[in-house]
Amino acid sequence: MRIARFTARRLLQAVPVLLGVIVVTFVLVRVLPGDPIRTILGPNATEADAAAARARYGLDKPMGEQFLDYLGGLFTGDLGVSIQSGQAVLGEMAVRLGPTLELVVIAVTIATLLATVLGIWSARRAGRAGDHTLRVLALVGNSLPEFWLGLVLILVVYSWLGWVPAPSGRVDPDTNLSLITGADLLDAALTGNGPAFASAAGHLVLPVATMVIVIVAPLLRSVRASALEVLGSEAYQAAAAHGLPERTLLRGYLARAALVRLPALAALVFGFAMGSTVLVEYVFSWQGFGQWALRGLLFRDYPVVQASVVVIALCYTLIFLVADVVQAVLDPRVRI
Amino acid sequence: MADLTTAAETRAPRAAADRGFATTLIWAGSVLLGLVLLAVLAGPLLVRWGPEEIDAAAALAAPGGAHPLGTDVNGMDILSRVLHAGRLDLGVAVASVALAVVLGTLLGVVAGYRGGLVDDVLMRFLDVFQAFPAFILALAVAALLGGGAPELILVIALVNAPAYARLVRAEVRTVREMPFVEASRTSGSSGLGTLWRHVLPNSLTPVRVIAPLNCGWAMLTLAGLSFLGLGVTVPTAEWGAMISLGAADVVAGRWWTSVPPGLMLLVSVLGFSLLGEGLQERAGVRR
Repeated sequence: MRIARFTARRLLQAVPVLLGVIVVTFVLVRVLPGDPIRTILGPNATEADAAAARARYGLDKPMGEQFLDYLGGLFTGDLGVSIQSGQAVLGEMAVRLGPTLELVVIAVTIATLLATVLGIWSARRAGRAGDHTLRVLALVGNSLPEFWLGLVLILVVYSWLGWVPAPSGRVDPDTNLSLITGADLLDAALTGNGPAFASAAGHLVLPVATMVIVIVAPLLRSVRASALEVLGSEAYQAAAAHGLPERTLLRGYLARAALVRLPALAALVFGFAMGSTVLVEYVFSWQGFGQWALRGLLFRDYPVVQASVVVIALCYTLIFLVADVVQAVLDPRVRI
Repeated sequence: MADLTTAAETRAPRAAADRGFATTLIWAGSVLLGLVLLAVLAGPLLVRWGPEEIDAAAALAAPGGAHPLGTDVNGMDILSRVLHAGRLDLGVAVASVALAVVLGTLLGVVAGYRGGLVDDVLMRFLDVFQAFPAFILALAVAALLGGGAPELILVIALVNAPAYARLVRAEVRTVREMPFVEASRTSGSSGLGTLWRHVLPNSLTPVRVIAPLNCGWAMLTLAGLSFLGLGVTVPTAEWGAMISLGAADVVAGRWWTSVPPGLMLLVSVLGFSLLGEGLQERAGVRR
């Protein structure tokens, strides 16, 4: 009951923010320089051609009217038509989301597991050589440009060692993988396509490794900090003084306390990973959501820019909301 | 009282050890940054080639001979470009963080000190900007504003300013209620005088600690934007743009066009990170 009210309140708080995002994106993309129509017309197009094209995409109407049309479309699930490709934005986006989510979810999961184990290990050796080494390594991870790390991995693992397939695309086209969700690994598993599964997994290794290395660092720091807090707490010291077995201390006291913080952290890292994925997709020609949104931005494809920005803001806001709710379930103090 | 003293005793050795570690981090960061600064300021004076000078006969030459780190696809000397690029990368990063600190502090002080409606409106406005992952926001604004160093400084500053505004606002709201502020007010100081002399200086501690870390982030953002073609573009020497140009060589096993600029970037950002982490550890600020 309390949780339901808490969730409802957080949802209500998110509404004005998202509305703000929708308005700001809509206005900014139109006010700032750049013209989507000129990019689809050839260099020889006349002013009349441009006007006709503008009318076709409804860009000749007053901005207020355009906005109402757009808002009406949003509520009926119509995100408009891409000026570049002439395809429905919703359909284009659906194909692109799968591959990106696959990459991000796998990377965040691995990074979270790794960070929990290493963070607790590091906190229990606080101030000693192992802890210091790990902290400096985490700082190095924090300072790595992910696009460069991706290139270095390609250089070493593909060009020199030849252990992975070429960094272009997500799956070998010869494997005849049929598209279901767009997440190739999942599609291959669903259709029982063994060769495609192996190929998709091979293509995933380097991009996932790149993202894990970059995002494990901030996670590790936070897990270590919360574990340190527990180690210094009276409850833990009392438990330790009573001679509770090592396993109970580790699982019942340290891991649980560190895990309470994890939802909020995972949300933060998820957002961070969404930014990283644009760069990582670009390096590995992943053809996912990030590259699609980037191309939309470069060509000023208004409907694509609006849709991708709103979707990112929606995901980001929802993830934080879910994290807050999960945390409220785990930790009653938050609900007050 | 009793348990307070025991707690202090048990924690004392660890705190001491970590203060030593903090100092080590600060030193290591400063040394790294000093070396990078020396390289990018003095280095260009020692190399034969200009950063945009084309040696057409030696495009994609391997390291050695006339070009110690080889050349890129345009026949430009990698060593010279890597050294010159540092001036731009470091300059933009520091300038953008400075601008973000000023903008954010201004907003935060106004929101925190005035409170009420001004505070509400400002904070809701900042919420909209914080509904995005920072890099995505930078990407969108940079794509819309166009590249070039001044635009990029503005973009990175705008993306960072809300976080500073929040930090400063929170501090100001605490400091505002402190007895010494009340004393200043009752002794007849003007509102602005109190703000400037008492509230502001006491509200900037977290900003001082975060700013170096933020410089590292700013460098990564600048390079990332340039890598995607949204920031500084070739022929201007910039690390991200150089890595982008060298990306195609990597598949062919040519390391020298993209590895050196990335290493310089890594070392510089690491310098800022070590410094920032050390300062944070010493200030006892929790993240």
